[in-house]
Amino acid sequence: MEQTPVLKVEDIRKRFGEKEILKGVSLEINRGDIKAIIGPSGGGKSTLLHCINFLTLFDAGRVFLNGEEIDHTDRRRLYAYRQKVGMIFQDFNLFDHLSALQNVQIGLVRVKKIPKARARERAVAELERVGLKEHMDKYPAELSGGQKQRVSIARALAMDPEVMLLDEPTSALDPELVGEVHAVIKRLAAGGMTMVLVTHEIAFAGSLAREILFMDEGVILEKGPPQEILYGAKRERTREFCDKIIHFHHKDNG
Amino acid sequence: MSELMFLRQEVAPAMIRGVWMSIRLIVPSAVFGLAIGIITGTLRVYGHSVLRAIANVYVTFFRGFPLLVQLYLWYFGLARFGIYFSPYTAAVIGFSLCSGAYHSEYIRGALLSIKDGQMLGAQSLGFSRTQALVSIILPQAVRRALPGCGNELIYLIKYSSLAYMVTCIELTGEAKILASLYFKYMEMFLIAGAIYLLLVSIATWLLNNAEDWLAVPGFEPPRR
Amino acid sequence: MKAVLEGLPYIMGGVWVTLVVVAGALAMGLLLGTFLAIAHVYGNRALRTLTGIYVWFFRGVPLLVLLFLFYFGLLGALHLDLSPFFVSIVVLGLISSAYQSEIFRGAILSIPEGQLKAARAIGMSDFQAVVYIILPQAFRLSIPAWTNEYTIIMKNSAVTYALGVAEIMARANHVAARTYQHFWLYLLAGFIFLGLTSAGTRCLGLLQKKVAIKGYAR
Repeated sequence: MEQTPVLKVEDIRKRFGEKEILKGVSLEINRGDIKAIIGPSGGGKSTLLHCINFLTLFDAGRVFLNGEEIDHTDRRRLYAYRQKVGMIFQDFNLFDHLSALQNVQIGLVRVKKIPKARARERAVAELERVGLKEHMDKYPAELSGGQKQRVSIARALAMDPEVMLLDEPTSALDPELVGEVHAVIKRLAAGGMTMVLVTHEIAFAGSLAREILFMDEGVILEKGPPQEILYGAKRERTREFCDKIIHFHHKDNG
Repeated sequence: MSELMFLRQEVAPAMIRGVWMSIRLIVPSAVFGLAIGIITGTLRVYGHSVLRAIANVYVTFFRGFPLLVQLYLWYFGLARFGIYFSPYTAAVIGFSLCSGAYHSEYIRGALLSIKDGQMLGAQSLGFSRTQALVSIILPQAVRRALPGCGNELIYLIKYSSLAYMVTCIELTGEAKILASLYFKYMEMFLIAGAIYLLLVSIATWLLNNAEDWLAVPGFEPPRR
Repeated sequence: MKAVLEGLPYIMGGVWVTLVVVAGALAMGLLLGTFLAIAHVYGNRALRTLTGIYVWFFRGVPLLVLLFLFYFGLLGALHLDLSPFFVSIVVLGLISSAYQSEIFRGAILSIPEGQLKAARAIGMSDFQAVVYIILPQAFRLSIPAWTNEYTIIMKNSAVTYALGVAEIMARANHVAARTYQHFWLYLLAGFIFLGLTSAGTRCLGLLQKKVAIKGYAR
């Protein structure tokens, strides 16, 4: 049974000055699917995510949501599109002048134009979902990294996204705080959220994703099920990368 | 044709006279002001508590009173006690002391930002406190205070126009006289304004370059 | 000394005039300065050049010259008849807007770009992002520099005496002309300005404490 992919990205190219960061990247993801993108730094993974929700404007390529092409010059459609594509940043990017509750609430009030009282209820519910209801009046400066990331997930979820883009969600966290964020992401996945996850956490990617994409130097070199990519990749480069990472992790967990 | 003649015969000489007087006001005031600022700024950080208190009081008043009030005090105020300064002298005294208070703030800030280690290092080599101040600390402080002090000098160029208020006729004064005489207010003040803009722009350019020339490699963040 | 005390109520009346002039100029500077700062940071090349020229002009020409230019020059050319009081507020306001725009511009530029990215990511328009996310933070960051701007305008307001505005300095002069106590009267005027400056600085310090976000460190 053929279903239209929730998100389809076709042949994205982006160059910054002289350097071509993305050299024709395509991917598609169906509802409920989880795909992880791994690869060395500078390979373009983060840029790709930024291109998907047009935070970075790409030079060539197309993006489709539920089969409909997104035209970034149509401002209003673009804003509506961004609500449906939730983004989680490595640096959390919580609004520093607002409390956790207000961070989640502001999108509901200003973008979705929901009345304040209802928005507040929804915001509290989302914070509860990520386990942070007791901290809702705290400001970002008073929260730990893991808590900040969970608030940012709540903030994105409040917009009722159809797909979530996670850009190295735990890279900026102290190791002991990674677990709580992974737990939340796992729960989201179990609930059927469609996700594109860029991460260095190979084990986590392997346990969560249906498909792993290996990206290097602006192209997707190889893709396949976790077992295959991580332990028996077809391409030399992929094997080279995965071997190092897995070896590193094994030593760590030694 | 008569416009051009007007410009040549009346405006140009007046403007030149005015600029010259402005420069005669600005340069001494800048020099004295900076000197006063360095001395009082240093006293406020390293001085004996009595000297420090006096310097602090000086700064509080000369930064707190509007410059215009200060000028009036020197020129009209002291006249009541039999002390008669010429408009020029009163203006230079006023500008120097007012400017000095602002410079003192920047110097003080710069001195405070220089680590104790510098003084300790110098003293361990046998420098006296004064020697250390002059040879080691102040040269660094001047670099750090440069943006602030430089800005204050640029302000001085602009507020030298207030000399007109104590009847010292510099650029603004000359412009006003001609404007009233020939009813050419727009033209004269635009010309005067343009000349000030030129002076300020040149000073700003010099200041920006001075910051670059004096920068110690690796010590300060690289300028754009 | 008696003469000075007798003139005191009259001079104090000038405090209200001064306060209105200062408040008017600051308010105008705030409104215009915010727009200029936004134009300077987020605008296209043409806008940025224009705001650059505006700032250069109003920060480069002395206050006294601008007062004369506007009051004697511009009003005459436009055949307008406005009071010195009004013109003073406008001129001080224009100059302040140039300085304030630089203050706000610096504050906006110091805000990490991640804030803007996150705002866009949840679907905010650029206008919403600037109004609800950037400006609230920029204003908080600007309070110290803005306090300085307040003291500058307060002191500069004395210059409006040159146009005949009946503020503190003008009134002190008026009394001096009658009583010949120039020195004491100017000293008094100076203290009044000093008092107004200190009081204002203290209020703004309280404001800063009130709107401070816990732990917000930049």
